[in-house]
This record gives sequence, structure tokens and C-alpha cells, in this order.
Amino acid sequence: MAVAVGIRIRFFARLREQAAVETESIEVAKGSTLADVYAILRGNHPALPGQVAVRAALNQEFADWNTTVAAGDEVVFIPPVSGGF
Amino acid sequence: MRYDITTGPIDPRELEAAVTHSGAGAICTFSGIVRDNSRGQSVTHLDYEAYAEMAVPQMRKIGQEIKDRWPEARVAMAHRTGHLEIGEVSVVVSVSCPHRAEAFAACRWGIDELKQSVPIWKKEHAADGTHWIEGDEAKPVP
Repeated sequence: MAVAVGIRIRFFARLREQAAVETESIEVAKGSTLADVYAILRGNHPALPGQVAVRAALNQEFADWNTTVAAGDEVVFIPPVSGGF
Repeated sequence: MRYDITTGPIDPRELEAAVTHSGAGAICTFSGIVRDNSRGQSVTHLDYEAYAEMAVPQMRKIGQEIKDRWPEARVAMAHRTGHLEIGEVSVVVSVSCPHRAEAFAACRWGIDELKQSVPIWKKEHAADGTHWIEGDEAKPVP
């Protein structure tokens, strides 16, 4: 990738067990969205659920799937919490 | 205002003390308790897991929204993580207001919001195995 941004992913609860890791640092193309990031992760970890089953959080805030990530961002994909979405 | 994620026991009276003041004529406290059954199965214990760096700010945001809706409210929230036994307190929302109607309403709204938007997950250990509880769904742990 000519221009890449490094981001850090953290996994919790069911997704942590499905990914079998707690954290993962990856480089993605500049302009990548949270949906792009999740697609890459599902490629790395086929057991992860489809995008419709989770919400995206960027730097500790819920964020839209079309939000672009930047270098140093913390990205977490959040399965439904105990009371549901 | 007090917002905690803790691995130790939660005392609802401590949260009430945090919202008590001389103008508060009503305190409404919701305590969530680990119960011994779920989905028709007997439950042995629970494990809660939090994304704490996001959960505490989300709780603070809910507290601020309560203040926007009920300006005289004072709010305290705590959620426990880790291993919990039957009968232990998992979550507490305590709200004080001048009168009971708004204290009930604000407390109800607060726990409902917490259950929807605070990233804390429940893993249930029951007679039929271990499940992540995600809203109305129980996802078995292989």
C-alpha cells in the first residue's frame, strides 16, 4: 500500500473468542472506512459474525460504518450488549 | 455524579449517598441482581466483561442526558465485571430528584439506556452450557 494508516483493533466478549485475539494492529489504505476495516478482519478471522450483527466504535464512541479511520485510531466492533441494541 | 466499573461488590446504599442532598425528596435506585434461572435453565454464575474505556464515558453521557431531561436529577451508576454469584448485585442506577415521579422516570430511563448502549457483556453459565447473552439472544460458547 502506497499510503497506509495504522490502526489498533480491540475485541471483546463473543468477538474476542471468535477472533481468538484481544488486540490486533493492522495497516489499511488511506480513506478506509470502518466497514472496510471490518471486512478485512472477517477475512483474517472467518468466525466473526456479519456486519449487521455488530456496531462500530471509533476511539470509544459509537460511529457510522462509513466513517474514515485515521492513523492511531482505536477501533472496536461491539456485539449486542446484555440488554440488546 | 458517580460512574464506576468495578470488580468488587457494589453497595446500592453508597450510590444513594452520592446522590443525596437536602433538596432531594425522592431517591429511586434500581439494582440488577444475578438470578438463578434464565431461558428455563438453572444458572450457576455469570461473568461480565466491559470495554471500560468506553463504558464509563457512555455512562457519563447517559447521566448528562438524564440531567438534560430532568434538570434537578442527580445520578450515580455502577456496573460490576468479572465473576458474579447468584444473588449478587451486577448493576445499580440511583437517581435523586425533588419528587418521586421524576425520580422513578429518570431511573427507569437510565437503566434502559445503560442496557442498550454501555459496552458490557454477560456470559451466562447454565445447566445447558455457557452462552453470551446478547439482548434477547443467547449465543452458545462452543
